[in-house]
Amino acid sequence: MTKQLIDQIEGEASIRFDMKENMVDFATIAFPHFRGMEAILEGKPALDALVVTPRVCGICGHAHLMASVRAMESAYADANEPVQLTAKADTIREVTLVLEMIQNHFKWIYLVIMPELAKLRPEKIALTPLKGAYAASLASKALASFAGQWPHSSYMLPGGVSCDPTHLERIKAQSLVDELISFFEKECAGTALDDFLAFDSCHDFNALESDIGEIERALTAAGMHKKGFAYDRFMVLGEHRFTNPAKVMQTRLLQADEKHVKTHSAYSPSEKTFAKNACYKDEFYECGPLSRAMASNVELIKSMHRRFKDSAYSRVMARIFETARLLDHARDMLGSLALNEDSLIPPKPITGISGCGVGVVEAPRGPLIHRVEIEEGIIKSYEIVTPTQWNIGSSVKENPTPAQLAMMGNVTMEEALFIFRTFDVCSVCTTH
Amino acid sequence: MHCASDRDRPTLIWLQGVTCNGNTHSFLNLPYLPQLLAKYDLLYHPLLPASSTLSEVVQCKRPCDVLVFEGAYDPLMKRHEVLLSELLDYYGMRAGHIIGVGSCASFGGMFKASAPQRNSGLIFDESESSGPLLALKNKVINLSGCPVHPEWLGYTLSMIADNKEIKVDTLHRPLELYSHLVHHGCTRNEYFEWKVDAKAFGLKEGCLFYLQGCRAPMTHASCNRILWNDVSSKTRSGTPCFGCTEPDFPRNDLFHTKTNMSIPEDVPLGVPKRSYLTITGIAKAFHIERLEGKLIDDKTAD
Ligand code: SF4
Repeated sequence: MTKQLIDQIEGEASIRFDMKENMVDFATIAFPHFRGMEAILEGKPALDALVVTPRVCGICGHAHLMASVRAMESAYADANEPVQLTAKADTIREVTLVLEMIQNHFKWIYLVIMPELAKLRPEKIALTPLKGAYAASLASKALASFAGQWPHSSYMLPGGVSCDPTHLERIKAQSLVDELISFFEKECAGTALDDFLAFDSCHDFNALESDIGEIERALTAAGMHKKGFAYDRFMVLGEHRFTNPAKVMQTRLLQADEKHVKTHSAYSPSEKTFAKNACYKDEFYECGPLSRAMASNVELIKSMHRRFKDSAYSRVMARIFETARLLDHARDMLGSLALNEDSLIPPKPITGISGCGVGVVEAPRGPLIHRVEIEEGIIKSYEIVTPTQWNIGSSVKENPTPAQLAMMGNVTMEEALFIFRTFDVCSVCTTH
Repeated sequence: MHCASDRDRPTLIWLQGVTCNGNTHSFLNLPYLPQLLAKYDLLYHPLLPASSTLSEVVQCKRPCDVLVFEGAYDPLMKRHEVLLSELLDYYGMRAGHIIGVGSCASFGGMFKASAPQRNSGLIFDESESSGPLLALKNKVINLSGCPVHPEWLGYTLSMIADNKEIKVDTLHRPLELYSHLVHHGCTRNEYFEWKVDAKAFGLKEGCLFYLQGCRAPMTHASCNRILWNDVSSKTRSGTPCFGCTEPDFPRNDLFHTKTNMSIPEDVPLGVPKRSYLTITGIAKAFHIERLEGKLIDDKTAD
C-alpha cells in the first residue's frame, strides 16, 4: 500500500493505493480536516447562515450563499408564507453564480490541470498560472459589481438581493465580461468565442494553436480518452437557466429529485477521514460540468461522450467547454438585465417563521444542497451536501465511488493522481 | 526556476490552519500580483506553483524570511502529518516577519467556533493576548478581515520587500490600513448624518446602521476606501458591515441592529452615548425631502 498526500486542491487529502503489477488495483481517499460548520449554525438566527455558510469554502462561497437563501425561502413556503422574487433579483443571483463558476474554472485550468498534465507530459505544457488568476479576478470583479465583494459576499436575502444597481453597475460588469471574453479568445482558445461554441467535434479542439489546443493534445497523447472512466451516470439537481435537473444514465435523461439524496460515512480503513459519501437512492453518480452538459443536451459534449464516454478526457474538456458556454450566458444575461423592478420584496420577518427548507444549486463542481429546519427564526438543524461528496467519496472495492472507480484498473499511480484532479477536488467543502 | 537574484529576494512560505481558503483566493485578486510575486522567492503557497512541495516544507528544513499564516490555530491540527505547532515554532523563529492573514489567524475568527476551547489566532484569542506565537509577537502583523482584502496583504508584503517600517495598532494591525472605520467612504454617509434608515434591504437609499445591523461605525478597516475587487463594498451593495475585522467577529444576529429606545445599542466609536442621543434627536427633527424619497424616481428608464 502506498500513501500519497495531496495538496493544492482547496485543502488537503490523502490517497492510499493498492498496487498490482504497477497498476492501481484499488484506492481509498481520506480528508483529514474538519470544521463542523453544521454544528456552528445550530441555534443561530436563521439569516446568520447567509454569513456563515459562504465561509464553508473560499472558492465557491457564493454557491453556498445561494443554496442557503434558497433553503430559507423554501422554509418560508413550508410555513405558508411563500416568498416572491422579481425577475431582476433572480437574474442578478444567476449572473453572479455563473461568474463564480467561471472564476473557478479558469483557476482549475491554469492552476490545477495544466501543472498536473505537465507532470505526465513535461515536454508539452508551458505553465502560466497567473493567466488563470488574472482571468478569475476579472470574473470576480464583475461579480462584485453586484455582490459588493468576492470572496465571501452575503448579498442575497429571502425575497431578493441587497444591491440596487443602476445601469452603471450593469455596464461595468458587462465591460468586464467582454474583457474576459477577449482574454479567453486571445489567451486561452485561440479563436472567437462564437466559433468555439459552434465546434461540432472534439477534433476542432485539436487544431487550436492555443492553451486549450495544447491541453487537448496532451490529454490525447497521455491516453486520457481511454482512462479514468467512472459509472457513466450523471447527476444534476440545481434549477438554473444553463442546465436542468436530471439523472442521466449513459445518455438517457430521467427525472431527479433532491429528496433521494443521502450521505453515508466514507470507508477509510487505515486513516481517519471526516468525509461522507453522497448517494442517490444508494447509488453513486458523477456530477459537475460533464454531467450538466449531458443533462442539457450540449451537442458537442454528447458527441464527445459517444466516442470517449466519461473518460478523464471528457471530464476535462467538458469543464473547459462549460467555461465558454457560461461566458456567453453571462454576457447575454447582463445584456438583457432589466432594472426597473424591485431588488427585494420584503417577506414577513423570519422571526415569525417555523418550517423546513431545502436549497439546491449547481456549484462549480456539481449539486450543492442545504437543508434547514427553522423554529421561530432560529436554526434547529442544518445539513450541507457538497459536490465533492458525490465525486470523491471513499467506499469499498466492490462498490467504489466515481473517483475510486476512475482510478482503478489500467492506470499507473501517476495517471491516477491526474485522474483524481479531473474531478476538481474541494477538500474544504467535502468535510465542511 | 531559480535565478541568481533569488538569493536577494526574501523567501516566503504560506501555511494554513483551520480555514476555508478564502484568504488564499482573495489574494489571487490582487491587481499587481505578478509584480508583487516577482519581489519574493515563493517557497510554498496553497494554490500558486512554488519551489517547494508541502511535503518538503513540513520537514522544517527550508529557509523562511516571511511566514504567512491563514486560518485559526488548532494545537491538534496537522499539515501533512506534522503538527502546526512544530511548523510555527520552526518557521516562526526563523522568519523576520510573520503575517496572520484573515480574522481566523488574527483572533480565531469564524473557526474559533470549530473548537472553542482550543482554537485561537497566532497571538490573540479574540481580544485576549494568548496564542502559540505570543513570545514572537513583535514580529507578528495581523491582517484581520474575513477574508483579508488583497490590497492589505499587497501593502504589507510590499512594505516588507521594500524594507519599510509598518506601524501597528494594539491588535498588531497596520495603522495605514486599520485607522479608518469601514463607515468612511460609504455612499450612504449622507443618510447616516441625518439619521435616515434604509426602509428595507434592496434599496440604495438609507443607512443600514439603525435597523439592518451595520457595524461599520465601530469597525476598523478600509473597505470603503480601498474598494473590494476594485469596484464595490458590502455597504455599497446594500449589505451591512458585519464587523469582520474585529476580534468579536462573528457576532450574533448579523442583519439586525440591537436598539435601546430606538437608538442603536452600540454607538459610533468614540462618541459618548448621551451626545449621540442628543444629536440624533436634532438630526431627526429635520425633514430633508431629498433623503426621504427615491434618489432616482422612476429608478432606471428601461
Ligand atoms: S450603511 Fe453602514 S457604512 Fe454606510 S453610512 Fe450607514 S453605518 Fe456607515
